[in-house]
Amino acid sequence: MSGIDAVKKIVETEAQARRIVDEASAKAQQIISETREQAERIRQEAIALVLQQREEILRGAKNKAEVEALQSDKETEQILNTYRKLSEERKATAVSKAVELILNA
Amino acid sequence: MSESLEKLQNRILSDAKHKADETIKDSQAKSQQILEEARRRAQRESEEIIAKANVEAESIRRSILSSKVRVNRLRILDEKNRIVENIIHSVEDRLSSISKSERFEETAQRFVTEAVKAVDTDQPVVRIGFRDVSKRSLDGIARVLPKGGKLVVDEKPIDDLGGVVATDPEGRVVFNNTFKSRLERLDNQLLTLISSTVFGE
Repeated sequence: MSGIDAVKKIVETEAQARRIVDEASAKAQQIISETREQAERIRQEAIALVLQQREEILRGAKNKAEVEALQSDKETEQILNTYRKLSEERKATAVSKAVELILNA
Repeated sequence: MSESLEKLQNRILSDAKHKADETIKDSQAKSQQILEEARRRAQRESEEIIAKANVEAESIRRSILSSKVRVNRLRILDEKNRIVENIIHSVEDRLSSISKSERFEETAQRFVTEAVKAVDTDQPVVRIGFRDVSKRSLDGIARVLPKGGKLVVDEKPIDDLGGVVATDPEGRVVFNNTFKSRLERLDNQLLTLISSTVFGE
């Protein structure tokens, strides 16, 4: 084999070696790129799930507050009924005391 | 020469493959890091969203509840006011019909005496007017006036409910001793008395 042929062979081999390296580099970039997409998917799935949980938390809080509000209505009705009853029972006494106050103060 | 050339070629290819393998391995390791970081970030963001949601939920709960409590407190206050006003109307009715009571004369005399004392003059002018009271039935009132005093009897109750108004002769000093004025002057005491009697407060 002549010296020129040997140089040719070396040049071809180096070109082949460069292709191997370039292909690996391209594949590595593709791996990174796909991984970034996968990472974004993981994040978005997690966020979507947690946003559902958020809605449930808010809905739960609203429901709980509405139950407590109903309880407050019930308690208020009881208080109002008590006042009405007291008013019926004690009105005559209150009027007499108030008249005495106005007359004698 | 051919043999050493082949060795050189193999070496070049072997180095390239080694480098390629390293590049792929590096990218795989970096991928792993990216995924772990993404999971950590997602976890962190999720925790932040949940923490904010819990705060927001508590705020929603408090807002719904506090507006309901406010409305109910107002309902209770309205009812108490309604009850108290109803009692005060009854008090006004009772006061305005005092002429039917056997205590009328004593009360009217006392009101006149108080009013005369308040204007502090020898010649007071006393207007008196109660519902369903004739001029004749007020004759006894004149006895409590000082000698220079003048009694004016109104046909109608003064200030709607009745009472007494005394002035000095020039009308500069006025003391209003009508039921309406007494109700206004004793407003706080009256509300306290009614509340404590009815509501026990």
